[in-house]
Amino acid sequence: MSGHLWENLRISFSSILANKSRSILSVLGIVIGVLSVTLMGTMISGLDATFERSMSSFRSNVLFVSRMDWFGGDWDWWEFRNRPRIKEEYGEKLRVQSQFVEAVAPATERSGRIIRKDRQIDTRFFGTTPEYLATNDAIEIAQGRFFTEGENRSGSRVLVIGADIKDALFDNQDAIGQYVKIGNHKFRVIGVSGKMGKFMGLFSLDNQAIIPFGTFKRLFTRRGWMNIRLKVDGDRIEEAKEEIRGHMRVIRGLKPTEDDNFALNHSSTFEAQYRAIKLAIGGTGIFITALSLIVGGIGIMNIMFVSVKERTREIGVRKALGATQRTILAQFLMEAITICFLGGLFGMGVAYGLSTIINRFFPSVMPIGLALGAIFLSVMIGIISGLIPSSRAAKLDPIEALRYE
Amino acid sequence: MSILIKLKGIKRYYDVGGEVVRALDGVDVAIDHNEYISIMGPSGSGKSTLMNMIGCLDSPTAGTYEFEGELVHDMDDNQLASIRNRKIGFVFQTFNLLSKATALRNVEVPLIYANIPRSDRIERAAESLEAVGLGDRMHHKPNELSGGQRQRVAIARALANKPSIVLADEPTGNLDSKSGVEIMKIFDDLHGRGNTIILVTHEEYIAEHADRTIHIFDGKVKEDIANHNNRREPVPT
Repeated sequence: MSGHLWENLRISFSSILANKSRSILSVLGIVIGVLSVTLMGTMISGLDATFERSMSSFRSNVLFVSRMDWFGGDWDWWEFRNRPRIKEEYGEKLRVQSQFVEAVAPATERSGRIIRKDRQIDTRFFGTTPEYLATNDAIEIAQGRFFTEGENRSGSRVLVIGADIKDALFDNQDAIGQYVKIGNHKFRVIGVSGKMGKFMGLFSLDNQAIIPFGTFKRLFTRRGWMNIRLKVDGDRIEEAKEEIRGHMRVIRGLKPTEDDNFALNHSSTFEAQYRAIKLAIGGTGIFITALSLIVGGIGIMNIMFVSVKERTREIGVRKALGATQRTILAQFLMEAITICFLGGLFGMGVAYGLSTIINRFFPSVMPIGLALGAIFLSVMIGIISGLIPSSRAAKLDPIEALRYE
Repeated sequence: MSILIKLKGIKRYYDVGGEVVRALDGVDVAIDHNEYISIMGPSGSGKSTLMNMIGCLDSPTAGTYEFEGELVHDMDDNQLASIRNRKIGFVFQTFNLLSKATALRNVEVPLIYANIPRSDRIERAAESLEAVGLGDRMHHKPNELSGGQRQRVAIARALANKPSIVLADEPTGNLDSKSGVEIMKIFDDLHGRGNTIILVTHEEYIAEHADRTIHIFDGKVKEDIANHNNRREPVPT
């Protein structure tokens, strides 16, 4: 049988090569199917890697007291509009009242432009307290220092800039001690944060500047968007959440019948949202893949019927020369498998090429298991769609087949 | 001489649109080793059916068929395939070579089905081709060969497994007369070297090469006679 295997492989290749354009057209469905499944998988795994990296800046032990839920809270926009703002003092109250809170940092944010001489960059800046460092594990001060409590309280005009801002305004020069302008206000650069990359491939975490909260309050609006970062015991997040919610309700003076008019966000809500997105992408991918593989399988079956018909006489001759039904079945099955295997291989090659191109814009790596799975799948398609035409070939009556014109 | 093939009361009926066609209607034939036989008959006489029966491509509706002691009429498809592979060498009117394969590869085919290892196979295929005078054409494809050469490849293929009989169906039907003479000479030689040969033909001068002629008519053996002419006489052109 193994001798036949090589022989059948040889026959398959010569048959495929003899009908090149036909083979290519018929295998297109398989190619597209494998292409979409590998590409989709590549994207998802790239998304995973990006997500993991991005999530580290949120640290799972940080709770955010915010005005609104990050994702799909069941509030209506007017209800949200009427919610009271988050106040800085909540942080201090929670620090005192909660047994879980280890560090507190209010954070407020706005976008603006930083100017240095003839250079400028559009960026976002945060106003926060020195404790911010304790609530964000991803940030790291690469050069210089973070601001102090004294600077915060006195509203000093100092700032810590992200790596991208430093590159844009200072190139390779030392930025520490240099002055930049935000609007009409002069700020002294006291620190540069290390590279953190992009958040979900969307915006750069390195294009942001951090200024003392006190300074932010003095120079910019006090009524801006704010949240309070609370570092809590990472192993008891849910407990901490419940306890803090209780304290917040008291702070807000809510009656038991009233709904929360604030939100407690946690990175897990990101994860849940991400999982939903991933499922949607994966589901679409599986649907497209299944569809194109079914179409591809039908194409293969069709071409195998044609191939069997065309070679009826050859089948008759082979039978006369001693080929058994099994031998003929194996021959045609091998042809279907070979064509699908080559199609799968080709589709994967194209997907790999595309993934390296995509990788320039968006992190994407083709998982090897997925690649092998896709090849395996195309071989299975070959077997399934080749079975009926092959068994028809195997069952041909040798006399009729020999007489076939 | 020992009995090679024994057909007894062979019947082969077809059902064509509710009507029974008696292609073979009680045929008794016995063939010995190293016989040189021709089967003759007009079209529709049942000679093709008889040939298919002898070639183990068909199974009888009734009757017994013994091939070297094996009961062919009882066999299933796989056993028939095996008999065809080991004991019968087919030569067709239209050659029936694999057009994309070289002469050598064509001759290898029955050896592949006999599970003969590759190196042996190539050696035997080459030997077989040399025996029909195509030692220098082994790597040519059928479309690079003349009609006579193609039929010689087919004969080499038929002989590759050293079969008990060579069954030739109108072997010169698609050839010019010169090539036909060459091919018939090969059959004569093969017979001379101890092979059993059965020719199916409707040409008297081809049939005359054989030592014995079986005439089929209406599904029955009409005549079974020994030829007395010397088949080594030149074939009329």
